[in-house]
Amino acid sequence: MEMTERIEETARELGERVRPQIENAKQRLSSMNDSMTDYIKENPGKCLVGALAVGYLIGKLASRRG
Amino acid sequence: MEPRETPRNGRSTADNGNANATLGKRVDQVSQTAEQAWSKTRDAISSVDINGRVRRNPYGSMAAAVGIGYVLGGGIFTPLTARIVGLGLRLGMRLALLPLLKQELFELAEGLDGGEVSESSKTRRVNKATTTE
Repeated sequence: MEMTERIEETARELGERVRPQIENAKQRLSSMNDSMTDYIKENPGKCLVGALAVGYLIGKLASRRG
Repeated sequence: MEPRETPRNGRSTADNGNANATLGKRVDQVSQTAEQAWSKTRDAISSVDINGRVRRNPYGSMAAAVGIGYVLGGGIFTPLTARIVGLGLRLGMRLALLPLLKQELFELAEGLDGGEVSESSKTRRVNKATTTE
């Protein structure tokens, strides 16, 4: 009984300690997503050309290795 | 007698005039077709509405651009593409097949359950008939 109680307590403590960090990471990710989508919406041409270039480079690298 | 002056290309001046006229016509035609092609391209681009698409689905359009770049870079017939396609097919098959299998199993289980019920109801009916008699 004592063992299970101890394990439960440590799990609870761990959860309480980790929860704020997870929340923080969630908030950071969502703000990053927002800023990225805003940037893409503001500069669609630049982003499209950049994405095309990145894809082209990946294709070139893949064809060289293959 | 004075030597007669001939043009360098050996043609008479009338022939040269005709050639110039046909060349001019050709140039006009080429410029017209170029203008038409340019206007058609402009219309096509405006009908695709790239800005609107990017605003509606920013990540999707970026992924599409990367894919187009990848194809243009010559990466279509490579082991990397084969690996990606294989992984996608495997995932897709799993995702598509699992619900189908589940449904089939449920139907099978329901069928079995229904069969048992019908058999039990049959026995109940027989029992009722014997008691009334």
